Amino acid sequence: MIDYDFLRSLDFSIVWKYLPVLIDGLGTNILLTAIGFICGGVVVGTLLALANLSPNRFISWPAWIFVEFWRSTPLLVQAIWVHFAVPGITGISMTPFQSGSIALIFNVAAYCSEIIRGGIGAIGKGQFEAAKSLGLRFYPTWRLVILPQAIKLMLPPLVGTTISIFKATTILSVLAIDDLMRTASRLSSSTFQPVEIYTTAAVLAFIVGAAITFAGYAAEKRLKRGMA
Amino acid sequence: MSFDLALVLRNGGTLLDGALVTLAIALVGALVAVFGGALICAARISKSAVLRSIARGYILFFRVTPEVVLIFWAYYCVPLIFATKVSGFWAGSVVLGLIGAAFLAEIYRAGIESVPRGQVEAAHALGLPALPKWGFVILPQALRLSIAPLVNYFSEFLKNTTLLSAIGVADLSLQAYLLGGQTYRYIEFLSAIAVVYFFMIFPVILFARRLENRLGRPGKRERTFGTYLAKLPRSQRSASRLANP
Repeated sequence: MIDYDFLRSLDFSIVWKYLPVLIDGLGTNILLTAIGFICGGVVVGTLLALANLSPNRFISWPAWIFVEFWRSTPLLVQAIWVHFAVPGITGISMTPFQSGSIALIFNVAAYCSEIIRGGIGAIGKGQFEAAKSLGLRFYPTWRLVILPQAIKLMLPPLVGTTISIFKATTILSVLAIDDLMRTASRLSSSTFQPVEIYTTAAVLAFIVGAAITFAGYAAEKRLKRGMA
Repeated sequence: MSFDLALVLRNGGTLLDGALVTLAIALVGALVAVFGGALICAARISKSAVLRSIARGYILFFRVTPEVVLIFWAYYCVPLIFATKVSGFWAGSVVLGLIGAAFLAEIYRAGIESVPRGQVEAAHALGLPALPKWGFVILPQALRLSIAPLVNYFSEFLKNTTLLSAIGVADLSLQAYLLGGQTYRYIEFLSAIAVVYFFMIFPVILFARRLENRLGRPGKRERTFGTYLAKLPRSQRSASRLANP
């Protein structure tokens, strides 16, 4: 069943020649992962979570609808919508990287806001009341009482989300961002050696994904030791 | 800029074809994932160390490698290596199924491991052979815990079906993108399919949440329900069970 003649004809030496280009593409994925995590997960995600927790319905309902909608549609559709449909409304055309980043940021923010909301929601009401009865103001309450406990609860799901963000960045290659996948498909059509190029791309992507996973495990372990 | 809904409705047939392809991908992938996941899970908890490490490697690889990379690999490399023809539909949906199998194996395992040890020991004490031990004692309790995360994963899975458009499978997203390109009316088509996807995926998410609330914490819920039952006289027990199915 396996075509052994073909397997013998594989020439992985071209991989060394094109490895820098592929790693360059992978760098774009890692950059997008960082943008998604910091801008989307930390900044916009926190804002959305706070809006969601707000007692004012005019703030919490739009935030809730936004989160549900972005969680219930595929990133690919969101990305092409931002890139092709939004310029029709606003009249501002964006580069693929810009629209890809925007779609990714909102997508990640929707996921992370649920994690952040869950983490803050799991802190008992008694903690807020205790802080209040000690006379703590708003800032010290959050800085010293709520967040240290909530972050410990949020870390494990955030690690999973980081891997999902990295995986999601490869989806953005449909917008012609020069990331790992687009570089690989360009190289494979110019060298006519798809097996060598795509296998290398898969190995590179696996290495980064596994590195994020193990870094996350290590962070969790350290945190657990800190709690004990 | 007007929103021309009639344009979308006129091309409804093409979009419907795309939606059917999307559902077909989801069906094939879900079948591969549900049964493949069971096999991987069996290997992951088996007594053989070799099988266990193979399953662990499989799960790690398919969980951390981006879906798009694997789909491209399957579409471009598998036909060359095996000297066969593979359509984008089959390559893509089977790969999505294999990825799903890795996630479902971990979901099943979490369910099996959360069955209290006493249950397994009780089955041993009763001298139950392997098949009834798994079929009547462990799996009914384990699957009950797995069902909510399983449905939740299916919502992720529906989102992943769009990735097959990257290798030219004419699913809902690709049809809308092509129609948008032909008519230069991206807003209408892309917004329409965003809404369609929302109404496909959101009910699945809601269903998963409902299941999670009903079945997610069986210990807590069943204990309260059980203690409630124990207080009733025997004659009322079956009646109350009928009243609260």
